[in-house]
Amino acid sequence: MGSILELQNVSSGYGEVQVLWDISMKMEEGKLTTLIGSNGAGKTTTLRTIMHLIHPWSGKILFRGHDITNKSAHLKVALGLVLVPEGRQLFTNMSIMENLEMGAFSDKARKKMEGNIEKVFELFPRLKERRNQKAGTLSGGEQQMLAIGRGMMAEPDVLMFDEPSLGLAPILVQELFGIVDRLKEQKLTMLLVEQNVHLALTVSDYVYVLTSGRMEIEGPAAEVQKMDKVKKAYLGI
Amino acid sequence: MSINTLAASIIDGLLIGFVYGIAAMGLTLIWGVMEVINLSHGALIALGMFGALLAVQSFGLYPYLAFILVAAFGLVLGIIVYSIAIHRILDAPDLTTLLSTFAVSMIIIGAGTAAFTTSPRNIEFSLGSVNVGSSIILGTKVVAAIIAIITTVLLYLFLYRTRTGKSIRAVANNRAAAELMGIPSTKILALSFGIGTLLAMGSGALIATLFPFTILSGSTYELKSFVIGVLGGLGNPAGSLVGGLILGFIEGLIPNFMDTSWTPVIEFALFVLILLVKPQGLFGSEE
Repeated sequence: MGSILELQNVSSGYGEVQVLWDISMKMEEGKLTTLIGSNGAGKTTTLRTIMHLIHPWSGKILFRGHDITNKSAHLKVALGLVLVPEGRQLFTNMSIMENLEMGAFSDKARKKMEGNIEKVFELFPRLKERRNQKAGTLSGGEQQMLAIGRGMMAEPDVLMFDEPSLGLAPILVQELFGIVDRLKEQKLTMLLVEQNVHLALTVSDYVYVLTSGRMEIEGPAAEVQKMDKVKKAYLGI
Repeated sequence: MSINTLAASIIDGLLIGFVYGIAAMGLTLIWGVMEVINLSHGALIALGMFGALLAVQSFGLYPYLAFILVAAFGLVLGIIVYSIAIHRILDAPDLTTLLSTFAVSMIIIGAGTAAFTTSPRNIEFSLGSVNVGSSIILGTKVVAAIIAIITTVLLYLFLYRTRTGKSIRAVANNRAAAELMGIPSTKILALSFGIGTLLAMGSGALIATLFPFTILSGSTYELKSFVIGVLGGLGNPAGSLVGGLILGFIEGLIPNFMDTSWTPVIEFALFVLILLVKPQGLFGSEE
């Protein structure tokens, strides 16, 4: 029990090409789960399948025990499943405020919009200074902050990140993981897809390792970290 | 030719320019949101003309009330056209949506020809005129321009001040991201096509109070909308208004110096020039 999001034997892919083979995952409420794997292993595909941006071929996706496999993305957001996509995907022509407003699109989130904007600004003071600036004019790090802030605006029950540290300077990566840590203290359930495996393992509770579209390893972060296979393949030790 | 005549004819052109502006806004909004070149735009403008004619002649409505009804009908029709003819092929190659919207155009023109023939019609309606020196400016043109300006302001308030309007801009900017924010992108696309159609048919209803028309008249205004769209930057509604005014200015100016039939030549020469020199439009699209 306690699992808020669950994948049961999910297969999925693009066109004729199968990417995910029968994968199963469980995300515990209030925990940070990390999904690691090499390039092309299917990490992003997993997130896209959860959000129904690509349709699962078989298997089930459960949210709080309810089957949500075939719900479209915007309905999943209303339920509380929120993805901060790879490459930020901001509304570059719109202001920072407008991006945050769009994050709070669902009815549930809209009621708490004012308070959540304050929270985001408190976490990312730089966004507050630039709130009327177009998102496209922000630096890479600021854009990533806005993408996370926009995700937080949705009142997520599960917040998913796809490669949030990609393209960020080391100091910003540190800052980013600091934020993830703070969200974890607030007992937010998170699913993190990260190529910075070392940092990801230090903050996460539970880890899944995806190899060529199949779930190869899973376990508590502290244990997975010690596995020789993981050390060799992902930590370079 | 006196300076007064020149001024009057330019004012006349600019007034029409506002109406061209909202016609072009319909075309450019649809392009901006879903990257569909709506080849039924002209037919929808003509449908707006006949809608106004029907409302005025058969139901005795005041022409500007007819404008509101036609515009509202356009919104609904646009949503229906989107659902039937656009939605399923939105991600297909560009040619597919071109053909599909062209088919919609042929259906409207075919049905319109059957119903109304192609002989010219006009709405008998006058609001008097204003004298500018020795020239006159028709009251209907002044009112049409005012309505076009009000329509533009309302469109802007909608797109920049309301949640639904902002979500149209969000979908235009990044459809996948909008869906990930919980925005029902399909509904927003349908609504955007509806608003584009509203603007096309509404502009038709206004033009119908100014000039005689047939069911084939739309193509002229469709071409003007393309010129304006490119002038102002496709996908940029504010640019459309300015583009409309530029076109109106040219149409007011040219006949004072050469035969009126040179007007389209100059307009399209400008069109080609802009495409060559500044293809993103004078005011660029935001992207």
